[in-house]
Amino acid sequence: MASFDSLKIGDQPAPLVCGPLTRTDFVRYAGASHDFNPNHHDEVYAKAGGNKAVFGMGMLAGGYCARQLTDWLGVSALKRLRIRFASRFWPGDVLTCTAKVTGKRADGGQRLIDCEFSAVDQNGEVIIRGDATAAL
Amino acid sequence: MDQNAAGKTFAPYEFRVERGKIREFADAIGDPNPVYRDPEAAKKAGFPGIPAPPTLLRTFLYETPDSKNALGVKDWSYIVHGEQEFEYLAPVVAGDVLTAQDRIVSVTEKESRRAGKLQIGVIETRFVNQRGETVQIARRTLVETGQRISE
Repeated sequence: MASFDSLKIGDQPAPLVCGPLTRTDFVRYAGASHDFNPNHHDEVYAKAGGNKAVFGMGMLAGGYCARQLTDWLGVSALKRLRIRFASRFWPGDVLTCTAKVTGKRADGGQRLIDCEFSAVDQNGEVIIRGDATAAL
Repeated sequence: MDQNAAGKTFAPYEFRVERGKIREFADAIGDPNPVYRDPEAAKKAGFPGIPAPPTLLRTFLYETPDSKNALGVKDWSYIVHGEQEFEYLAPVVAGDVLTAQDRIVSVTEKESRRAGKLQIGVIETRFVNQRGETVQIARRTLVETGQRISE
């Protein structure tokens, strides 16, 4: 895990690649989170609404990005996390999560790391982006 | 959305953070970290119990429909989840009994060139543990668009 002293602005963890994602991945997250919006598991319903297939939950992509941050900075390090939902993702997509240090500062005796992160699909389209602060 | 909903608070609700649910959630985000499964690994990492992953509390498991209903949305197919924010104030571990309370922070309107008139509602949930410590604050931004959301 990264330490405050070792991290520099611009540092990035190894990318986290998730997928190719399956309908089963969406259904597993539906069960774990109780997100039973039928657009995420019922192909008939999703297509009737004009979608090409079921699509993944934004918070599933958010969970992948949070997982990359906890692998990188530690499970107890996060002080703040903000996720902005930009686009949708589909069965077969491969999401790549990346993150980057954007700031280092001290605040009230805490040593804080600011970072930005995103998940993009195999075509480079941004699915979610966000920012976080961790105390190290 | 109902512009008058801003400032409303809702009845608190209580739930226990369960170890099995933490594991199930970690599985669902593909996270193999042993701290979410093994009490010894959690203890070694400095936690008093198996910790909750960062996005666990913003699931539909832990909410009542009251605050969403109070937004006065006519058709949820016009709603997108625009943004989700968490503040982490203290650890949440398996066995904790949390009391959550929702508040509608704001309901505002914005003109978007791409999507027409947008109405933006922000719901905040504060989670307090069995010792009275506020452990997390979650803020969810819901956006009502002028048209149905599709490709």
